[in-house]
Amino acid sequence: MSTHGHSDKFVYHEPGLQHQFSDMEQQEESVSIGMWMFLVQEIMFFGGLFTAYLVFRSKYPMAFAAGSNHLDAFWGGLNTIVLIVSSLTMALTVYYAQKGNRNLQVIFIILTMLFGATFLGVKAIEYNDKYHHGLVPIAGLNLRAKGTAGAEQHPEGKPCWEVAGHSAEPAAEHQYVNPKGEFEWADCSLAKLAQDEGYLTTAEQIGYFSNGELDGNKFRDKVRIFYYLYFVMTGLHALHMIVGLLLMTWLLWTAYKGYYNADYYMPVEMSGLYWHFVDIVWIFLFPLLYLLGRHFLHAGH
Amino acid sequence: MAEHHHENDHEHIAIPGYLGVFAVLIVGTILTYFVATIDLDWIFPGANTLVALLIAFTKMACVMLFFMHVRWSPRLIWLAVAASFFWLAIMFAYVMQDYLTRSTGVFTQ
Amino acid sequence: MNAQDAVLETGYQSGIPPVNYLNIKTTLASWLLTKDHKRIALMYLVSVSVFFMIGGLFAATIRLELLTPASDLLETGTYNKVFTEHGIMMIFFFLIPSIPAVLGNFLIPIMIGAKDLALPRINLISLYIYWFAGALALYGLMVGGVDTGWTFYTPYSTTFSNTYVMIVGLAIFINGFSSILTGLNFIVTIHTMRAPGMTWFRLPLFVWAHYAVSLVMILGTPVVAITVLLLAIERVSRVGIFDPSIGGDPILFQHLFWFYSHPAVYIMVLPGMGVVSELISNFSRKKIFGYEFIAFSSIAIAVFGFLVWGHHLFVSGQSPYAGMVFSFLTMVVAVPSAIKMFNWTATLYKGSVSFDTPMLYGLGFMGLFLIGGLTGLFLGSMGLDVHLTDTYFVVAHFHYVMVGGQVIAYLGGIHYWWPKMTGRMYSEFWGKISAMLVFVGFNLTFFPQFLLGYMGMPRRYAAYPPEFQVLNIFSTAGASVLGIGMLMPVIYLVHSLKFGKPAGDNPWMLPGLEWRTTSPPPLENFATPPVVTWEAYEFGEGSGLDLEEARRRAAAPAIL
Repeated sequence: MSTHGHSDKFVYHEPGLQHQFSDMEQQEESVSIGMWMFLVQEIMFFGGLFTAYLVFRSKYPMAFAAGSNHLDAFWGGLNTIVLIVSSLTMALTVYYAQKGNRNLQVIFIILTMLFGATFLGVKAIEYNDKYHHGLVPIAGLNLRAKGTAGAEQHPEGKPCWEVAGHSAEPAAEHQYVNPKGEFEWADCSLAKLAQDEGYLTTAEQIGYFSNGELDGNKFRDKVRIFYYLYFVMTGLHALHMIVGLLLMTWLLWTAYKGYYNADYYMPVEMSGLYWHFVDIVWIFLFPLLYLLGRHFLHAGH
Repeated sequence: MAEHHHENDHEHIAIPGYLGVFAVLIVGTILTYFVATIDLDWIFPGANTLVALLIAFTKMACVMLFFMHVRWSPRLIWLAVAASFFWLAIMFAYVMQDYLTRSTGVFTQ
Repeated sequence: MNAQDAVLETGYQSGIPPVNYLNIKTTLASWLLTKDHKRIALMYLVSVSVFFMIGGLFAATIRLELLTPASDLLETGTYNKVFTEHGIMMIFFFLIPSIPAVLGNFLIPIMIGAKDLALPRINLISLYIYWFAGALALYGLMVGGVDTGWTFYTPYSTTFSNTYVMIVGLAIFINGFSSILTGLNFIVTIHTMRAPGMTWFRLPLFVWAHYAVSLVMILGTPVVAITVLLLAIERVSRVGIFDPSIGGDPILFQHLFWFYSHPAVYIMVLPGMGVVSELISNFSRKKIFGYEFIAFSSIAIAVFGFLVWGHHLFVSGQSPYAGMVFSFLTMVVAVPSAIKMFNWTATLYKGSVSFDTPMLYGLGFMGLFLIGGLTGLFLGSMGLDVHLTDTYFVVAHFHYVMVGGQVIAYLGGIHYWWPKMTGRMYSEFWGKISAMLVFVGFNLTFFPQFLLGYMGMPRRYAAYPPEFQVLNIFSTAGASVLGIGMLMPVIYLVHSLKFGKPAGDNPWMLPGLEWRTTSPPPLENFATPPVVTWEAYEFGEGSGLDLEEARRRAAAPAIL
């Protein structure tokens, strides 16, 4: 296939050098710019979701705070730490690839994958918890639980801001009833708090009220928007994580075969860039989704 | 014969350096977790969010500069990173300028 | 030395080299699995032509329906599907890929003196993704299509439409990645693969235009991808952020959609402007006027194009204050385009203009894009837009810039570089005839639509008041002429593949780097890697082009 003008001449090509490049430096520069361009477009991809989050959080901050408080910040924080550790092990993988240390490379790739898998495991636990508490925003996708005759989600007559504290959990004496797997949210106490203290946004003043009264159903709908964004954003992130694990599998195989050394380690570095990017997205998702309403919980209310 | 073309980009940062960055990231995470529980809204509304975002930006900068080696990367890469944030800012700002100036606005009571 | 080497050694030669990228291997696998950017470009050429014809059939159907005021040929529901599908086919599967994926892929490595693009396998993947997305879209059209308009506005597309939004939306989502990978490849290539001596300011303006386009592709396309994804999730799950009944906002969809789709129109037109820069300069045999201005204005259009999307939302419910900002910026974004027009005109002045077919297309672009661009300013004034929005004025405006601009530039580029790509000259006589038919047919089709729109005829309606019928008949008549004018190149270009005169390396004696290799080029583009010592568009002594020798050896191009 080669039609270099004088193709009979022997031209030394370094192993791993592709034919369109004249030397390894050009190949490395190209691959690096290429990967960064890919990350630029990934940033814009997630950016659309952050825009939607920004719009709705600024419209309905109380609903977002309420929804966020029911996310378990412990699991979220743990996941953040897990990902940071995996970033460290990834960076060390690149370091050892550069040094040509095959065994340590392989060990650190395995550790990175382990932490990545842990992240996904914790996510599965969280999603399962939402499933069990009627917090999946899509109707029909929550645990369906028919109650015994007469059992009710909440006692009749109680307004939505006097329901069982700050969580959507029904009080202990009530059974979880959700025959159609609907999205369940009954507690609008944060809206009442904001109303009493006078810091509802204009959108909230319209959006939470019917006939001048705080309407639990309308508030629930806004919380539903929060959970929709939560699932889409963390779901897309988890998808990227899965792709990252597949990438790591390939990297593990090639590193095990000893392909990478001081002269040729770009694939490891590029995979590292992707992995760190996924970590950075989570660094923003964690405070924006899990921590935004905590100060309401602890400020003596 | 293999040439070493990496004279200037070997070992940007050694193991202690990576561990130091790691420590900063962990501290940042713990910090953001606990600051979130303290009500800072008496300073100005949204202070909690601002602090959380500042911590997040610091963590991101650490990951980008040191783990992703941007600190030692050519200026084109710096430009690409800066451009992506600038474009995100365009998207956020110009979308929000609509929502903030509607009569059913966000910050008007 | 064998015959192959002898042929490659001589550099300039007349006729078609016995071994070139087209015949070096001829199995099906060597085409479908190729990494050669030139073969990938040809496969794109065939594919975009197919989609263009499908989109054209939908256009013909629209114009036939609009011959009469009543919705008698098609039911309104069907008509909705037809104009939606015309838009989707034309925009996503023809206009966006056309110049970059065909001409850009073919020419950028040659113009910068490289063997191939930086990432050939990514180029091939980009083609595969395009084919898959196109097949999926066609499947969606065949099982019933979509009727939401190519803009997919919510809540109709998420909640109420009973058509195949998911399949076609998914096809568009996937197609976006083809676009992103192409743009990524171009940026890397232009940064790292330039030949020695090929500095940034010696690059042809075609390359600058594609660099700017690639920036837009990378920064904008992911946003429409996530928007279509959100649309799909909302449609499937029946809950979402665009649903007003739960507090969502349909206008957010419009913001996110147009954040990409406005820059998308610059993805469509910037490469066209790059082609026109080449055509005007080369067929005036004069260095282009204001090279740096044109180069930077391409970048400026790419950047400013991201700041104006709200002009599609003036009457949507967007805040009028935001509307004012977007309106002002729309005026600003017209300035770089105007700079280009002035520079092209100045290039023509005192040039040695020859009216070959490609030049006819280039000049046509200048006139038609001028009208399209100016009418865009009318639409960009918020007050006037209240009257003109969603009328045929908008339809006429965007067809002037898209067809009168981009498609004409594309045809000009195809004709200009046809000898380079295939080694053959087409019939100049038929080329000129079809260029003129296209120009006349186009104006007859779309100029009446400005009048119709101003008088109030709404767009996307199958039926209209009877007083608009005369202008609609003119428009349909023009469409027939335009259709013939566009079919003719298919015939004479294909005919030239077998019967056309061999073009030689440089049929028009031009200084560009692409004209300093054989037609068709060898597999790795150049017999010996070039070293560039001349400026761009250097028609004088400094070009290093041995005109006497080239004239002696080259086959004369057929003129009439």
